Amino acid sequence: MDFTFSEDQLLFQESVRDFLVNEITPDKIRQLWETDSGRSDELWQQLAELGLTGLTVPEDFGGLGMNELDFVLLAQEAGYVALSEPLVNSVLVATPLLSECGNSAIAEQWLPKIASGEARAVVGLAVNKLVEDAHCADLLLLEKDGAIYAVEAANASLRANESVDPGRKLFAVDFDPAAAVCLADGDTAQALLNKALNRGALGVAAQSLGLAQRMIDLSVQYTSERKQFGVAIGSFQAVKHHMANIAYKLEYAKTPVYRAAYDIANDTPRAELSVSHAKLAACEVADLAAKNSIQVHGAMGYTWEVDLHIFMKRAWAFNSSYGTAGFHKNRVAAALLADNAALGAGATF
Amino acid sequence: MKVLVAVKRVVDYNVKVRPKSDGTDVDLNNVKMAINPFCEIAVEEAVRLKEKGVATEIIAVSIGPKVAQEQIRTALALGADRGILVETEEDVQPLGIAKVLKAVVDKEQPQLVIMGKQAIDGDNNQTGQMLAALTGMAQGTFASEVAVDGDSVAVTREIDGGLQTVKLALPAVVTTDLRLNEPRYASLPNIMKAKKKPLDTLTPDELGIDVTPRVKTLKVEPPAERQAGIKVADVAELVEKLKNEAKVI
Repeated sequence: MDFTFSEDQLLFQESVRDFLVNEITPDKIRQLWETDSGRSDELWQQLAELGLTGLTVPEDFGGLGMNELDFVLLAQEAGYVALSEPLVNSVLVATPLLSECGNSAIAEQWLPKIASGEARAVVGLAVNKLVEDAHCADLLLLEKDGAIYAVEAANASLRANESVDPGRKLFAVDFDPAAAVCLADGDTAQALLNKALNRGALGVAAQSLGLAQRMIDLSVQYTSERKQFGVAIGSFQAVKHHMANIAYKLEYAKTPVYRAAYDIANDTPRAELSVSHAKLAACEVADLAAKNSIQVHGAMGYTWEVDLHIFMKRAWAFNSSYGTAGFHKNRVAAALLADNAALGAGATF
Repeated sequence: MKVLVAVKRVVDYNVKVRPKSDGTDVDLNNVKMAINPFCEIAVEEAVRLKEKGVATEIIAVSIGPKVAQEQIRTALALGADRGILVETEEDVQPLGIAKVLKAVVDKEQPQLVIMGKQAIDGDNNQTGQMLAALTGMAQGTFASEVAVDGDSVAVTREIDGGLQTVKLALPAVVTTDLRLNEPRYASLPNIMKAKKKPLDTLTPDELGIDVTPRVKTLKVEPPAERQAGIKVADVAELVEKLKNEAKVI
């Protein structure tokens, strides 16, 4: 069986990378931080024109009808530029939830608008406590008392919360269930919520890979230019080790993330285990990248003036997004220690 | 109106190129390759002409190794209708390229040929002019504006000290300057559609063209590193150094 990415998937990655790296520069990110919403309608429209907002929207509703495996490399690129627009959550979490919730009227009303970039949908799961990007959403898909509700923006009341990452906008959201549409409850809702959690965690994991790569690139660039004792500090073995430790961990983290994308896209029984493994591995490497990059940047690494902090803070914020390390370790433990757990080649590695 | 666009495969403009250790050429191992930025502007201009209803068909042509198909596919994803690869492993120089393009022009009979003013690898800035000379077509080089009107095209050229507008009878060759337009990004649906667009492969032999290089590269080496500057304490010291060290005043 060939698990390598297809030519199309790699081409999409290259094309999206070109766009993101050229358009979402650290300067642009800083400019957006200064705006009230921290988001750009123009940028969202550009993402829509590229076909990204409709990537997982079914073709019948004007999308491309692709899946998580098609998107995982693109989410990685979104992480590389610390994209703040709610693209990853929209494509990976909100759109599949709307498509699979069984409410065709809501799907017909919103999916074409999401594909065209006319509307933004966000998801609020209990595991996250706060809802990301609720302020720029037209539709909020919210978990409450084990049920899922579709809440139009006008019917949601928002209270802003600070994030360690200035690029993230977090809100506590209140709404009246009587003024919302209940998409699912009971076991149906639980199954949908589990999938949404897995997809959200996959999105965080994929973006964390991109963040780690960006921090390596920034650190390599800095250590190649910064001189001490007449030579670039990158030539010192101790500095090289810091970078090499991130690089090898990053390579090892990629496989679980891609496998998790495959398992979700193919709805395999081990999807939950794969996702938790991926989230743990990817967040760990992004965390290490932040730590080591601060070190090799010397006293500059943590300061506002250096671009590194944009990516470092996103990595920290991702640690607890869609489940903390403890939450995911418990899921891995539960999967491995279950009475009927399949262990060994093909099951756990 | 049929438009022919030439696209060249070059090292991506973000890559810092290095010469090989033996100085025979630039090191292309594991280097990201891309469509030449000026060629990308040419494709964009052709696509805009098609969107305006002026162009009816856009043909993207590239001359190079088999992998140059990637750059033709990029052009197709940006909006070209079909591609032609003239496949050769030879390091084809501007005159060879111009001869091959002439053969393609003879075959396809486009009304307009749009190409980059130069490629960012060789920086020759010769092919468009040579093609115009070989085909006898009018030429409008360094274009910052292109307006087709019936059987003529007005090309605004970026020249020293300002802009010059020339009116050319079609068919014509136009070479693009940096400010002609800002190329779009290929959307995912268009990348998928591009795979289904036709791409023909020819060889210089089939076109009866000899592309043997006429110019021999003797050595490739990096430019001399710039010396570090110094700080002077005051104007008097600056004047003293300019007089006695730099000897420029």
